[in-house]
Amino acid sequence: MARSTLISARNQLIMPRRRLLKGAAAFGAATLGAPFINRLHAQEAHPLAGQTIEMSILGIAGWLPSSLGVQMSPMFAEFAKERYGYDVSFTFAEAPFADLFQKAATSLATRSQEFNIIISDSQWLGALAQPGWIVQLNDIIAQNPELQVEWYSPIVVDTYMKYPDGSDQLWGLPQEGDTIALFLRQDMLDDPAEQQAFQEAHGMPLPRTFEEYENLTMADFEKVAAHFTRPDQNLYGTAMQYSRVYDFVSCYLYPFMWSQGGDIWNPDTGEVVGILNSDINATAMQQMKDWLKYQPPGATNFGIAEEVDVFTQGRVFSAFQWAAVGLSMIPESLQGKVLVVPPPKHGTGDSAGRIYTMGGQPWVLNAFNDDAHMRVGIDFLKWWYQPETAVEFARRGGNPADAATLNSPDFDTINPWNRAYKYMLTDGRSRDFWHHPKYAEMLALQQEGFSAFMTGQNEDAKAVLDYIACGQQQILADAGNAPMVPDMCYSTSL
Amino acid sequence: MAAVTDPIAAAPRRRADSHRGLVFILLAPVLAFFVVFNTIPLLWLLGLSFHNFSLTSGMPPEFVGFQNYYQLWLGRNNFWGDLSRTFTFVAVGVTIQTLLGVGLGLLFWGSRTMPGRRIALTLLFAPMVLTPVATGTFFRFIYDPNFGVLNQMIQGLGLPMVDFLGSPATAYWAVLAVDCWMWTPFMILMTLAALGSVPKAELEAAEIDRLPFRKRFTLVILHHGKFILMLGILLRVIDSFKTLDLIIPMTKGGPGQQTRLVAVELNKQAFESFNMGFSSAYAVYLLLVSIAMTSVFIFVLNLRRRRGS
Repeated sequence: MARSTLISARNQLIMPRRRLLKGAAAFGAATLGAPFINRLHAQEAHPLAGQTIEMSILGIAGWLPSSLGVQMSPMFAEFAKERYGYDVSFTFAEAPFADLFQKAATSLATRSQEFNIIISDSQWLGALAQPGWIVQLNDIIAQNPELQVEWYSPIVVDTYMKYPDGSDQLWGLPQEGDTIALFLRQDMLDDPAEQQAFQEAHGMPLPRTFEEYENLTMADFEKVAAHFTRPDQNLYGTAMQYSRVYDFVSCYLYPFMWSQGGDIWNPDTGEVVGILNSDINATAMQQMKDWLKYQPPGATNFGIAEEVDVFTQGRVFSAFQWAAVGLSMIPESLQGKVLVVPPPKHGTGDSAGRIYTMGGQPWVLNAFNDDAHMRVGIDFLKWWYQPETAVEFARRGGNPADAATLNSPDFDTINPWNRAYKYMLTDGRSRDFWHHPKYAEMLALQQEGFSAFMTGQNEDAKAVLDYIACGQQQILADAGNAPMVPDMCYSTSL
Repeated sequence: MAAVTDPIAAAPRRRADSHRGLVFILLAPVLAFFVVFNTIPLLWLLGLSFHNFSLTSGMPPEFVGFQNYYQLWLGRNNFWGDLSRTFTFVAVGVTIQTLLGVGLGLLFWGSRTMPGRRIALTLLFAPMVLTPVATGTFFRFIYDPNFGVLNQMIQGLGLPMVDFLGSPATAYWAVLAVDCWMWTPFMILMTLAALGSVPKAELEAAEIDRLPFRKRFTLVILHHGKFILMLGILLRVIDSFKTLDLIIPMTKGGPGQQTRLVAVELNKQAFESFNMGFSSAYAVYLLLVSIAMTSVFIFVLNLRRRRGS
């Protein structure tokens, strides 16, 4: 009895141990097999599992952030294979800024899915959305939590996602955030001889830190630019963009207007006359033109590339440049020698303001994609906003726009321009302009006018603004989005 | 009464019929090509010109009658300014190219024994075979005030830097100079072809008669070669009227509107603003102007020929 009791007790002890071993074995097998099972499950769940899909992306030629989107796509191919079980390969097409819309539009107008994903410019959202060429993303975002990203500021949504302005309709997702920053030669600022000479000439210390430039006005910065303008040494104080190509001069003139209280139109009524051709804006135009004296000869033809050239070749001390081209602005030879700060405020005293133009581009999806390409396009976007993808994008020189990445402790130090970019991406410091379908036509007219004034073809800023305002309102009126132009418009000319 | 067919007369008619059939068959591919790629697009263009149609509006074309033509006539988008700039560009450009082309052509013709003549001619024709976009791009670099070789040379001579493409005073002429650089070789080629058509006997007779060069040129050379020369000028006028691919990389029509020729504006309206209706009317206007210019030219050519005969 005692023995049987003992055996029974032993058996009772043994049984749980067996169970335990079995359970442990099952747990181990489940643990080891879980990824495969999950993957099998995921692959089974994804309708494209086992298929091979070819995607095409249309991006901007010679534009680093756009090419980063393209360069990183093999990472998505790996991700898609792992997560969804399909193979994806990418082909790429590109065109310069000024020609990309033309390339996209002529393809989309034929209802082609030649380009499945397009890196658009923010101002084209209206022109792409209005004819139904791109997908409205509201439902897609609602169905995919990965796309419900917390953006760094409301201007991200206003600039890259919304059309019409003020509506809830979302058509794009940010590929690259971008703002204007001021690139300075830190090595020149750190030169004691320069500091002493500046102090003696202007009775104030040479501004040298991010914080000092944060509070600087254009009037103060003019002293700095004048200090470094030495034509005899082939050195100039600064560089801005005055070129009539695409939107170059417009993007650089708007900060002079907006920061001092000017505006460009009334988006609710479509009125331009009486708003764009204001005295504030005429003064702003003259101010921007006056800055030519601190810039190298030929600055009236400066666009993005020309600015990069003069800065990297040491012809200018500073340059107002898009944060997106930071990598090009700071080549190996200038590493550690460049400080990137917020561009100065306009105006004086308490009324001084800082509203610069937004840059950057959204991703948009071709509305004529078949189901498979649409699905992969959405998967691609979901991958793009994964935290690790966003960080990798930043490490390679791109500018993400999501709050998590930008608020991460090390973001400011990843690239020299990150801090200034983040500063300028804050609401009220930057803004975008029209998303209207007539954008291209309004822009072309304006570029001609601004260029005519900056180059001296027409010396009367007010007359040029009258001409542009009338022309733009006429374009909007023809499209049924504005009242007819007033009588004064019939006498305007460039 | 049944018709009586003469078998002897019917045979050639049958041959003529079958010949006509063969002609039609041989012409059919060309005619089909012409209809598909010329006639239909032209009719399409004409139709569109009476509509308000923007590719980016998402709306179907709206019939507006002659409104697009009327707006152009009223000078919308500075149409008359563009046309005036274009006429100046054509007149000045083709005149310079013709004078230089004829002069250089005569020099080359008179130096047939010069060593290296073939190499010199090949080099001289090189600009003509280059793509205008490439030419425009590298001339933009040559003209660049900061890095351009031309300004380096100018400064080397102690002269001030010139912003050739950025200044309203110089941009138009800088572009015109490049057009002349590109197309003068074409006029040299036409001059050499014209000189080749002059009968050798007449030239020798003129030489034996010791006619001065001016008379030899006007009475012998020009008399025989003028048709080929006029053809060259006509081709240059038509081509120059359409100048676009040289201007886009150089100035995009700027500064302001200084180098905005009609083709630049037409391209902008059609492929940047996507105003397909308005740009079609613009294109029809240009077509009419081209036809008018060509007709006047051919009329003058025929007039001289009739007078000559």
